[in-house]
Amino acid sequence: MDFALDAEQDLIVQTVRKLSDRDLRGWAADADRAGAPPDRLTALGGELGFFLDAVPAEADGLLDGSYSHLTRALRGFELGRGCAALAALLETNVEPALAVGTWGSAAAKQALFASLASGGLATFAHDSRGSLALTGDGKDLSVTGKLGPLPALGVATHVVVAAKDVLFLAAVEGMKREAITPSGWRAAKWGTATLDAYKVPADFVLARGPAARTAIAQVLSWARASLAARAAGVATAAIEHAEHYAAERIQFGQPIGQFEALIRLRDDAQTTTAAARLCALHAAWAIDKGLASAGDLASRARVLAGDTVAKSTIDAVQIFGGYGFVNDYPVEKLMRDARAFEALYGDERLGRVLSIKGTKE
Amino acid sequence: MDLFHDNPLFSGIRQMLGAFAQQQMRPIAMKHDADESMPWGLMKSAQALGLTQSALLDGRKKLTGVDEDPDPKKPKSQARLAVAASEELAWGCAGIALALGGSGLACSPVARMGTDEQKAEFKKLLSGTGENGHIHVAAMALSEPATGSDISGLKTTARADGDYWVIRGSKQWITNGQSANVYVVWAQTEATAGRAGVRGFIVGRDTPGLVPGRKETKLGIRASETAQVHFEDVRVHKDMMLGAAAAAAGEGGGGLADTKKMLDSTRPVVASQSVGIARAAYEFLLDRVRSSSLHGTPMASHQHIMFELAEMNMEIAASRLLAHKAAWMADHHLENVLESSAAKAHGARTAQYVTTRAMVLLGEEALEPGHPVEKWYRDAKIYDIFEGTGQIQRRIISRQLTGQNPT
Repeated sequence: MDFALDAEQDLIVQTVRKLSDRDLRGWAADADRAGAPPDRLTALGGELGFFLDAVPAEADGLLDGSYSHLTRALRGFELGRGCAALAALLETNVEPALAVGTWGSAAAKQALFASLASGGLATFAHDSRGSLALTGDGKDLSVTGKLGPLPALGVATHVVVAAKDVLFLAAVEGMKREAITPSGWRAAKWGTATLDAYKVPADFVLARGPAARTAIAQVLSWARASLAARAAGVATAAIEHAEHYAAERIQFGQPIGQFEALIRLRDDAQTTTAAARLCALHAAWAIDKGLASAGDLASRARVLAGDTVAKSTIDAVQIFGGYGFVNDYPVEKLMRDARAFEALYGDERLGRVLSIKGTKE
Repeated sequence: MDLFHDNPLFSGIRQMLGAFAQQQMRPIAMKHDADESMPWGLMKSAQALGLTQSALLDGRKKLTGVDEDPDPKKPKSQARLAVAASEELAWGCAGIALALGGSGLACSPVARMGTDEQKAEFKKLLSGTGENGHIHVAAMALSEPATGSDISGLKTTARADGDYWVIRGSKQWITNGQSANVYVVWAQTEATAGRAGVRGFIVGRDTPGLVPGRKETKLGIRASETAQVHFEDVRVHKDMMLGAAAAAAGEGGGGLADTKKMLDSTRPVVASQSVGIARAAYEFLLDRVRSSSLHGTPMASHQHIMFELAEMNMEIAASRLLAHKAAWMADHHLENVLESSAAKAHGARTAQYVTTRAMVLLGEEALEPGHPVEKWYRDAKIYDIFEGTGQIQRRIISRQLTGQNPT
């Protein structure tokens, strides 16, 4: 058992931490108000390799060998400390690129990787509520229903969709897309897409049947471990802001951070956030090792991180008091941002209940 | 207890304002949340129902059709009416409810401590409409940039100058702060007197030196305006100082202690607003559970979801009972400091719990822009902050329990 980072991981963590502290936090408030990322995000994210790190080198990407979800979780935590919305955009290509790289046909790889290499974005959609209707002849698929709301779907060129027992790649062109700006992760270029008998060619279907169920579980474990790490980062940011404020804010003759009730609030948040971060890293490590428990660990990590970020951000607003409720200070944004970590891909606990019931039936 | 089924006064109010909330408030709630705008049109039309900005001074006859028994020893109905009404209005939209009732914060100390002349002047300033056609509203200016929970440390000063007081300072988080036509501002009149020296003053909007400040962009309750207000050597005639006669007579009234009593009386109302928000989110989820399926099975067939609904139902019922008990005690002239704080703290917790869990159970749906449960989630948070934070309520409760001075 070794908790130390290797040299490459340490370098990545330090680099992303600087990015978060210097750039993402600086941009976060304006990006939130504008409902859009700053133009510089694309250039900076590209320079640092965020958009192509899961695209194989032979397809003009940066992935040479196996992908490290542990390193991704380490950087995701740091990105979450910076801004959840901008982090979501920087991380959005990973699941589609890895899924297509793992299960995609040559045509699917060509379509997605060429788009990503030329600056396109992709996103991952999970039909967690079972609302998509899929029909097909065993080859091509016809899909009707609605995707989203999803981050990056407002601008993505492609989406990898997990629905029932099919995993497929779809070009967003041909869908009726609507860009939206929800209350949280406002700068993440959200969108919804309506599919009306949308045709998915057979070579864009990545997996079907039992193989698809296995593949979907795997993609969800990647997404959940990453979400969990970023959620722990947002929770940590909330605590950092609250701690700083509580040290300076004087009420009843002393810094409010010295009141036992607030020490307890902050200490509980630090404890659960540390646990959430470790669970996310553990899940990512299990994914990298190919352990059978990886999916379950990622699911649990996401539950814990979702609970943690919800409570930590609410408590941070509480510590800020009236100032926490207005947008001059960063924590009200964090409280809005916290929701997507629990809402994306459905209710984790319910999903697990259904899954366990399903295996017994 | 006469609150729930057998008192036509309270059930009538619930019914009338429930319909008003459903028909008049809900349809415009998301718009005013998105625009961060006051519902001026509704504020005007609601006056016909008795929801006037000066309702606390007008009495309740317009709202209920009956006057209170003037005998001060007899039980009143005002606190229970306010609790019953506020749940319904907050169910419609907490932000709009605060816009409809925000002037009440300023009316309360005037009703409690004001002379007949002061009440008349205050009502005069609060009646009618402005040049923009908006009805006049009032603001209670108590909190300051450095003084949130600890209201005894006010920095705003009032200096005597002949027949006038000269007020200087800045106020923060003031409901109706930008739009008010009349303010009740609290200031320190004696540098060494501490809390005993804090006094309230009625100040008209047009008084030179009164400068409404920036409007805040908030997490929730966005239909209610919150702003800073600056007092730059504002001269106020001594006749407009609240509680002056009691102070001069050595009766110890009119100061900060009275504002604390005032907060005791408003906490059950605020608690009941929390209940209204929680109920709104709970009912939305309940409707979804009754009507929706998950992966081909009815949501209502999932014990996981049904038990969460049961928890929400229990917490809402408990919060409502605490608020009603505190109000019942107030109406029966019983000290309710502990009960008011317990209702406020519990209500805030319930509103946050129910809205948070409802969002989780609704899944991605709740991420849609303009989703009502997401709005209620944002609205709920302020109930653990304003009118005394959850920590302040627990401080009051615990000091009551151990017999310590609650201040």
